[in-house]
Amino acid sequence: MNNVFDRRDFLKVLGWGGAAVALSGCGNGSVENGEETVVSYVETNDFMIPSISVYFNSTCAQCDAGCSITGRIREGRVLKVEGNPDSGINRGKTCGLGQAGVQHHYNPDRVREPLLRTGNSGEAITWEKAYALIAEKMNGVSGEEIAFLSGGVSGHLKVLLGNYLDSFGCKNHFVYEAIAPAVVRAANKKSYGVEMPRFNISKAKVVLSFGADFLGAWISPVHFSQQYAQFRKGADGQRGVLVQVESKMTLTGANADRWLVVRPGTEGILALGIINALGSHGVALSGDIAAAVKSYNKDRVSKDTGVSAEQIDKIAALLKTRTPSLVLAGSAAEGYAHGSQNAAAINLLNQVLGNVGKTVEAAEAVPFPQMAPATGNTVALKTLNDGLNAGKYKVLFSYATNPVFTAPGVMKFQDNMAKAGFKVVFSHYMDETAMQADLVLPLDSALEDWGTQVPEYLATCAQINIQQPLMEKLHANTRGMGDILLALIKQRRAEDYKKFDDYYAYLRAAVLQNKGALGGKAIADDDIFWNETLSKGIIKLEGPVKALSSKASVAGLMLPAPVAIDAQYPLQLIPSVNASLRDGRNANQPWLQESPDPLTTIVWDSWVEIHPRKAAELGIVEGDIVEVTSKNGSVKAQAYLFPGIHPDAISIPLGRGHEAMGRYAKGYGVNPFQILDAVFDKETGELALHETRVKVSKTGSRVIVVKDEGPAGGSQMGKKIAARLPSDKVKLSEEI
Amino acid sequence: MKDIREDIAWAQINKDVLKSLENPRRMYWVILFIAIAMVGVAVGCEVYQYTTGLGVANFSNPHVWGLYIATFIFWIGMSHSGTLLSAILHLMHADWRKPIYRFAEAMTTFSLMTAGLFVAVHLGRVWQIYYALPYPNMRQVWPNFQSPLLWDAMAIFTYLSSSILFLYVGMIPDLAICRDNMNPGWRKKLYTALALGWEGTDRQWRNFRVTYLTIACFLIPLAVSVHSIVASDFAMSQQPGWHITSFPPYFVAGALYSGCAAIITLFIILRYVFKFEEYMTMGILKKIVRLTFAIAMVWTYLNLIEYAAVWYGHDQAAKDVLIQKATGPYAPFWWAMNFCGSIVPLIMLFKRFQTHIPMMMAVSILLNLGMWLERWMIVAPTFSHGYYPWTWDHDQWPSLVQWGIVFGSFGWFGLLFMVFCKVFPSVSMYEVKEMVYHRSQATKKLEATGKMAAAGKGAH
Amino acid sequence: MSISTLLENYSEFRHFHPVDDVPHNPYKWAMSIDLDACSGCNACSVACYAENNLPVVGREKYLHGQAMHWMRIERYWDEDGREFPDQGAQFLPMMCQQCEAAPCETVCPVGATNHTPDGINSQIYNRCIGSRYCSANCPYKVRYFNWYDYPTTDNVWPAEMNQQLNPDVTVRGKGVMEKCTFCIQRVTVAKNNAKSEGRLVHDGEVQTACQQACPTSAISFGNLVDPESRVHKQWQVQKVELDKDAQTKDKEEGGSDLRGYRILEELRPYPSVMYLERVRETAI
Repeated sequence: MNNVFDRRDFLKVLGWGGAAVALSGCGNGSVENGEETVVSYVETNDFMIPSISVYFNSTCAQCDAGCSITGRIREGRVLKVEGNPDSGINRGKTCGLGQAGVQHHYNPDRVREPLLRTGNSGEAITWEKAYALIAEKMNGVSGEEIAFLSGGVSGHLKVLLGNYLDSFGCKNHFVYEAIAPAVVRAANKKSYGVEMPRFNISKAKVVLSFGADFLGAWISPVHFSQQYAQFRKGADGQRGVLVQVESKMTLTGANADRWLVVRPGTEGILALGIINALGSHGVALSGDIAAAVKSYNKDRVSKDTGVSAEQIDKIAALLKTRTPSLVLAGSAAEGYAHGSQNAAAINLLNQVLGNVGKTVEAAEAVPFPQMAPATGNTVALKTLNDGLNAGKYKVLFSYATNPVFTAPGVMKFQDNMAKAGFKVVFSHYMDETAMQADLVLPLDSALEDWGTQVPEYLATCAQINIQQPLMEKLHANTRGMGDILLALIKQRRAEDYKKFDDYYAYLRAAVLQNKGALGGKAIADDDIFWNETLSKGIIKLEGPVKALSSKASVAGLMLPAPVAIDAQYPLQLIPSVNASLRDGRNANQPWLQESPDPLTTIVWDSWVEIHPRKAAELGIVEGDIVEVTSKNGSVKAQAYLFPGIHPDAISIPLGRGHEAMGRYAKGYGVNPFQILDAVFDKETGELALHETRVKVSKTGSRVIVVKDEGPAGGSQMGKKIAARLPSDKVKLSEEI
Repeated sequence: MKDIREDIAWAQINKDVLKSLENPRRMYWVILFIAIAMVGVAVGCEVYQYTTGLGVANFSNPHVWGLYIATFIFWIGMSHSGTLLSAILHLMHADWRKPIYRFAEAMTTFSLMTAGLFVAVHLGRVWQIYYALPYPNMRQVWPNFQSPLLWDAMAIFTYLSSSILFLYVGMIPDLAICRDNMNPGWRKKLYTALALGWEGTDRQWRNFRVTYLTIACFLIPLAVSVHSIVASDFAMSQQPGWHITSFPPYFVAGALYSGCAAIITLFIILRYVFKFEEYMTMGILKKIVRLTFAIAMVWTYLNLIEYAAVWYGHDQAAKDVLIQKATGPYAPFWWAMNFCGSIVPLIMLFKRFQTHIPMMMAVSILLNLGMWLERWMIVAPTFSHGYYPWTWDHDQWPSLVQWGIVFGSFGWFGLLFMVFCKVFPSVSMYEVKEMVYHRSQATKKLEATGKMAAAGKGAH
Repeated sequence: MSISTLLENYSEFRHFHPVDDVPHNPYKWAMSIDLDACSGCNACSVACYAENNLPVVGREKYLHGQAMHWMRIERYWDEDGREFPDQGAQFLPMMCQQCEAAPCETVCPVGATNHTPDGINSQIYNRCIGSRYCSANCPYKVRYFNWYDYPTTDNVWPAEMNQQLNPDVTVRGKGVMEKCTFCIQRVTVAKNNAKSEGRLVHDGEVQTACQQACPTSAISFGNLVDPESRVHKQWQVQKVELDKDAQTKDKEEGGSDLRGYRILEELRPYPSVMYLERVRETAI
């Protein structure tokens, strides 16, 4: 064959593929055999200039905080995401999790075709067939026999989903987020009248946080991190003081000025103890509060919690002198059978200190309640699980959640799921839940899909985040969730939706329909408004503000005495939430697997944190493989001696231990969700994540812990490496 | 005990030495086979490492250097013995060196060649090794003349070429003997070419003497500088445990030490393998052993000086490294090194052991083990315990690939050396003849004066 | 090509830094990191992976100390024998300190690591032969070597993943040393833009990837020569001078109350990164 590449061929190649932008990596295929396509820069999109980056705004979907991002796109590929400075939530910043969003998009383990289960394997089918199959299975099924399980959804997707389910008269939309602060939401609702008030860390002079890891994984960490930085500098040059109360040190605890280790579950007692101490420091307490905390004197509280009386006094003194302060109830406080009580006691402290209205403020609500985020936790999952167990559901949908991985093993969700007639899972990966499905529908990544999102925690104003594709779809046969829902709803209400070719058209029409309310009053031209909206990536709104109720109530506040140590299972298991792996949905992103846990610096594996004193008692040294046994099973992982944990507790991080999902997730670490005890919060019924009691035994084998930290551990060996100065010496106001 | 029998006929010397080119003991082939096998292991390891990456050697951050550099220094050190015996002792007119200097020079050359290989094995991108040479180029890109590693490259290159020249020049009269005594064949052609038409005329001898002396004079400062420069790799750096002023003399002493110990080992092997009992006599062994002992004590002194300098210096980091060497995971090796380097040579004090072949064999090997450990103990502990505590890494253990290549390098050296001894006369014939002649003349003179004295005495 | 051109050419680029006569002009890139703001969240480190095409080495290689994180977060505990770390931990982001008199630069046999005229310690991958002397001589151990061929045989970026690679940054092959570059690709773009507009780079015009991501804005980066730059002001207020191996302020009686310091300054590498000490609350 004559291989001479003459000029005419050359021009022909250049002229190819101008219409369809197909992209190629640096593989070994060639243009001639059709494995690669040449993109013409003669007829390219007007934004695409070789070697020049363009930036488009969108919304990060790595967690639900709703940070706005700006994607850097070059030659049609998204390369990196940065924060969008216009967003009040993240103000141009991102976390490591957000940075790894591109690895979700380019992940080699994404599902690329609709897969239909045949026996134990999946057969790739077309979308037409998949839709037809769903239509067939839904035919004649009543609304009660359908269950739709999802993670947190908001925006137009939630609307569309609601409409779809309505078309069957189905009310079974279960929202399940494994590590959402469900108990705190309920407690906030009781204390302040809203589930999610705004916490003004930057305005506070003292932050007393009961296990709220707001710098790590709690609610909106990037936003809180910025607030934290301002809080540290201090508005008037007085540096903010952070006191963290928890049984296992979180990233926030590691940054605290005083980290107080409490006996697991006694956070509420300590809060009441502090109120009592405030009373004796001269803070006026109303009669019922004074009565409620009367018995919580320093000595008793000190005995119950393990925090010294002197320390309680100091905190009370500090809270009294430096106002306003802010008290946060976080996931460590809520994870007990009396979690609601704990959170209520802690919120009471805010009220006693008069912080409500100052540092705990009401947030605007998005004026479209149908778009507000749907939240939920184990209660919903439990209902679904019971229904499945009873064989109630003929069709089960699952979207943006992975209950087979995150549901406590004792719920036997996997077995119950098998009882559903037809299981459709919308998924990016073949994760544990998708492995159980009859039909797996591959989703677009967040960087190639359209959408709107309403964050649950609204940092500065009510806002609707726009999610737009940052590049062409990577795989031909994935679909956006919105497109899928639109296709499904067309099966039911073709007439209503026929004018929308795709979800984009639906979204555009939906936004333009409310142009006036969405800040477009002054803009006559729809296209201009739409393009402006897209280029901003955020719709900022004036929302209604409902004032917080500041009436402190102690009605029903009953804190149980600390539990005596169980002889058989003497230790409390604290499943910790790591800032990058969270509940494990991002575990297949290698940057996150290789990003060391900030406190232990361990990578690529799970570990059991155990206090050195306890370890010495049990004869455990670092790297010992220990078996952690609860009533519901056991896991084996390497031990790491960690000073920042209560000696009667151990901690295993969540998020690792996948048995499916992809090459970077599967087989790394263990999954503590599997061994959780079925203990639930008494008021809300949510899972009490920290209530599992375990015993630890050595297995005899030992490994070298894979971590960044060397044999010097956390020691600076007398060198000035990470230095510090006492606060009474520094003058922050004189700094730049 | 005489260094050599004084009544060996010159023809006998020729015959004995030339015999070594033909039929050594069976042990020769055993050694050769083992050497080839060892090279095979190293080649396998190197191919794997070359294709996969240096990671397979289990290097890491901070352990970026390992056994390769340590063994590199070891082989450079070995090379100093040849210069010592040929050049220094030549200038000092110590004629007992004559039967053994040839193989010592060969050792110099081959250990340098082995050391050079380690540079290549060690580099991440060996295919770009020529970047380290100041070759002329249009873009004015030069190597960095500030870098001790560049000095190293130059010094070793110079030293290698000089020592090859020295070996070769010193061999010319012997090559002529080989040429004249060989049956036609490839060997004869080889020797004819290499002998450069040597006929042994007065003029040739005169020029030969001058040349040899000149190279010897040139080589001595070169040898000292080469190992000083290798020491500079460490002393000029800024790492605790390396940044020590006494390193250059310390390295030179260590080099001479390991070289001498290696000479004892090879002396014993060659003596047996090539049946050189007549030439490599106990008298000579005794002298090398004594020389080795003296150098051992010099090295011990400098070693203690180094510890003292670190201990009494106020560089805490350097002190920590020293403590780490003595107590940390490297402690067994560090103590073994001090034991082998400073205690074992004390055996050489005992007269009856000085000529005890198995004992000296064992001692010489232990000394070299000690010296190898010394180099490792210079390189590795600094990495494991540097300035920055966070990156300390006490547990990094060289992988089998690294060990395999180090192990194979001994085979490579042995292979080169054994082949050399089979192809070229490993005992200098003409110098032994000189030695026998001078010795017998001296004895005759002594006897004559002795007789006269006796006669005189009797006359009284 | 003669020896004389060699000598001329050679000495021309061999400044002794910090320069005895003129400081870098018009640019000297420097950083300051506020440890009181740094929360140790690792966002900077991941952002660095994203920006600079850092390979993910995997569990086994991480175990062998072959991780490639240009920016690592170190976590230190108090060393006074407390049972619990009740004053928290200390985090320290550590990357190449871009020393002015860099120990790595003098020892490289081929001159692959150099000082740029604007004060960055650059690494020329093409020139590197992999002797690793630079890393051996680095006091901070912030140089990372490509022990394996990550892009090809190790397949760190399997299909699709490779599309994320930043085209402005070389993907390094086997056997070369690499390290933090102060995001030189971004600096270069900013400098070129400024040059084409006939001005100097403004403060804030160029951000490093770590700085841009940092949720607490603990990292500042800029031109130390520019008196308007935040970094310049910070260094000035903290009385940290680039060309000192011991700061005058520290010689005052009772030490200094200013937070600025540089790590291992006494070794005289003259690092370009100033850290601001974490503050320890005395009221609690």
